[in-house]
Amino acid sequence: MPQTDAAAVALARDGNSDAFRALVERHSRAVYRLAYRMTGSPSDAEDVVQETFLRAYRQLARFESRANFGTWVHRIAVNCSIDLIRARPHRESAHDGPDLEQFGAAMESTDATGTSPERLMLSTEVQERISDAMSGLSRMERAAFMLRHLEGRSIEEISQSLGLKTNATKHSIFRAVRKMRAALEPFVADA
Amino acid sequence: MTTHLTQDDLVLHFYGEMDAATESQAVAHLGACEDCRRSFTRLQQVLAAVDAMPVPALPESFERVVWARLEPALPARGGWLTRWMFGPANLVWAAAVLLLVAGAFFAGRLTNPPAATAPTAVASAADIRERILLSDLGEHLDRSQAMLIELVSADQPGERDALDISLERERAEELVAANRLYRQTVSATGNGAVTGLLDELERLLVELAASPDQLPAEAVDRMQQRVAAKDLLFKVRVVSTALRARQQQTRGVHGA
Repeated sequence: MPQTDAAAVALARDGNSDAFRALVERHSRAVYRLAYRMTGSPSDAEDVVQETFLRAYRQLARFESRANFGTWVHRIAVNCSIDLIRARPHRESAHDGPDLEQFGAAMESTDATGTSPERLMLSTEVQERISDAMSGLSRMERAAFMLRHLEGRSIEEISQSLGLKTNATKHSIFRAVRKMRAALEPFVADA
Repeated sequence: MTTHLTQDDLVLHFYGEMDAATESQAVAHLGACEDCRRSFTRLQQVLAAVDAMPVPALPESFERVVWARLEPALPARGGWLTRWMFGPANLVWAAAVLLLVAGAFFAGRLTNPPAATAPTAVASAADIRERILLSDLGEHLDRSQAMLIELVSADQPGERDALDISLERERAEELVAANRLYRQTVSATGNGAVTGLLDELERLLVELAASPDQLPAEAVDRMQQRVAAKDLLFKVRVVSTALRARQQQTRGVHGA
């Protein structure tokens, strides 16, 4: 197995599939994590992983050897996630969560125990709440929010990527943040 | 900025999305207004918590499974699996299945033209049943395929060791009953190739479901060779693809 990504890329370009396999093995978990955060669906994330490495393989000739392979694949994965989200707009309504008041009320009602910094560190509980909150976002809200929050993309860039108007992108992010606040604020505020 | 900042203003400020003039007003207001400052701190806490968003735990075999799915899809310069997938015998089998599935579809369309010979409600019920069968069988084959991939790509244990197949065994148990049902349903439609495939699949699923959680090296090898010898993975993939294509055709015909 080649020691470095650069060596593996060079071999993979010459058709060495073991070298490409090494790259897949090194980076597929990170790609999955990103894709899951973007899409919110394990099966969609698996599709994104597959498509990402397929595109990477086809575009290996265009990869500049001085660049970082991980960063390059990460960018491809973001684009694949966006393509998948845009290709399935009909599923948007299926992912629309409850309205904000219901959402906040439901979250508060489950917050039966007191909170403290120690409890905040009990990541299982925090993570459950984050998962619940994230599952209440529509696909577009989730994608716009993740691109802004995790990927640091500007609202302008996100609008172009998702094919939305700037205002629609802003409002998707605002709605996502409101839902996250409704779900998490009672929990983190007292911590 | 003398009025309080809205929640949306705070979000724009947090992400640095305000224009320069609005940003400096917001900063000045936050410096002077304790309420807004508190609200902004809570927003920061919430968004910091989001960074801890969980991702489902992945099995140890994740990379192997990704590669097993990916390799056949890579352009022809791939390795042994690609060459095996596109070997002449497999291509002949694939062509035969595609012809059978397509043939059955078009024969059905010719012998049962929906508008001419059957009342719309009956035709719709039959169409809905067909679409449900196509969709369910496709999903069943996809799940079976994922399990087979994990099985054939599992690392061979050492001669005296055993491979933990508890997950595959559990999944096989779940798949057996469904497989039997689909085989009976497909058999009634007279599609011999797909029935035969489900038959082969069922035998393997039954054997796997009856295996111990810790499978000895010899048994792993035997099972992997059996999947390879029968081209089971390849056949499942072909039928699953053909079903998906047929499902799209069915949607197209009825959507038109």
